[in-house]
Amino acid sequence: MKKDKNLPDRDDSVLLDVKNVTMKFTKYDVRVDSLKELVTRAFKGDLKHEKFVCLRNISFQIRKGEAVAVIGRNGVGKSTLLKIVSGILRPTRGYARAYGRISPLLQLGAGFDGNATGIENIYLNAAIMGYTKKEIDAKLSEILEFSELGDFIHSPVKTYSSGMLARLGFSIAISMEAEIMLIDEILAVGDMAFQKKCYQKLTELKAKGLTFLIVSHSESVKNLCDRAIWIERGHLVADGDAKLIFDRYAKMMLNA
Amino acid sequence: MKSMNGLQRFWQQAYLLRLLVRRNIKNQYYRSFIGVLWTVLNPLLNMLVMMFVFSSIFGTEGITLDYPIYILSGNIIFNIMRTSTAGSLPCLVHQRDMLQKTKVSIRLFPAANVISSLVTFAFSFVALLLVGLIRFASNDFSFHWQIVFILILLPAVTLFSLGLSYFLSALYVFFRDIEHIYSVLLTLWTYLTPLFYTVERLNNETVSKIMVLNPMYHYVEYFRSLLSGVLPSVQEHVIIYGFAAVMFLIGCIFMSSVKNKIAAKL
Repeated sequence: MKKDKNLPDRDDSVLLDVKNVTMKFTKYDVRVDSLKELVTRAFKGDLKHEKFVCLRNISFQIRKGEAVAVIGRNGVGKSTLLKIVSGILRPTRGYARAYGRISPLLQLGAGFDGNATGIENIYLNAAIMGYTKKEIDAKLSEILEFSELGDFIHSPVKTYSSGMLARLGFSIAISMEAEIMLIDEILAVGDMAFQKKCYQKLTELKAKGLTFLIVSHSESVKNLCDRAIWIERGHLVADGDAKLIFDRYAKMMLNA
Repeated sequence: MKSMNGLQRFWQQAYLLRLLVRRNIKNQYYRSFIGVLWTVLNPLLNMLVMMFVFSSIFGTEGITLDYPIYILSGNIIFNIMRTSTAGSLPCLVHQRDMLQKTKVSIRLFPAANVISSLVTFAFSFVALLLVGLIRFASNDFSFHWQIVFILILLPAVTLFSLGLSYFLSALYVFFRDIEHIYSVLLTLWTYLTPLFYTVERLNNETVSKIMVLNPMYHYVEYFRSLLSGVLPSVQEHVIIYGFAAVMFLIGCIFMSSVKNKIAAKL
């Protein structure tokens, strides 16, 4: 990242540094996504919009080798936080810096090209994630093996079932072994056997020293993560031991 | 990224661009069993239809260039712009799953569409040369060395198409009905560009005045004058690159100014 020089006192073990991140969106009462709507609403004077604060002053640091779960209700800004962390969104205030390569785990076959074969999609997806041909070549056999797709890998992915797509997507992201893995609620796909295999692989990668940031509701990540960050209405409510925070969160959800 | 230096990063992006272009071209003719041959056949068949329709309805007076060549040359240049922009318009939205999760330069996607259009153009150019040979054999057309100036024209058309593609693909993220509006505008633009008629023949002052403002008119006419063996004036060069530079700047500035909003809106 560009601003490395400005941070001489950076702790080397910190891979992800999120500091005072505030994100505001302009929220229209109704989501305007056509020109027609914009024009007719402008005429009616119906274009009320307000600044909507999605995240407020969020700060945390993630060190190398940590597995952190981000929990919270739907719509509290978890996915927005992930987008800011991966550099897709620029926060309104504050910053998020990643010192290392980030690999996102996509939802169920997202970003695949239906007409292209499995192999072609592996190359395309990994290239979009920022890997060179050499790096992909080196990992190809591992991806193929992990996905267990066999000869289907040479068929167009539009012939795949959703479970197969998920396998492929997961295999690509998990095999590329970026320093930081961002995982957004995807572990609920695939059959039981594959899920088990995924958790095994994640545990294995964690032991290898990779860093995880996982957004999830499911209890199953509790065992994988050693730390949890709880976000509620854009605020960071709690940050600490995963088991404790998951329990508190579950209690709150049941009482609500 | 920490682990990559500038040059590596550049090659990585170039590699990604190549994959995207290859995907576009494959998808374009995916289902047809003669595949890429369509890229040559398509402009030829279009030319035959237009020749049949327009030479008998409008007549061909005032056109010094051989009529099949006249039609074909205009269409293949216009098609660079048409296919680039029509392909680019929805390209960011189609990739939304990927763009929401990965930090990747969104400029690559429209650029891939423009490059695919250039590849298609190369095939169409072969078709033009074939027709040229046939018309040459029947003494209706002769080749001129000035045709190499196509290499001066192409960067201008490309830059213009790229700018417009940037602009449209970003705008489409915000206004999904642009798709319908643009397809109408594109039809209008097609008819406002002398692809099968000449401006002189319309003999209308207002039309001639408006025509000067149509960038595609300049690109098409530039190409035709090369085919007739005439080098366009310096002024004409300034015009074609002027349009290209302005459109490219508009596209770039618009895209970078809404970049953060695109990520939020997708």
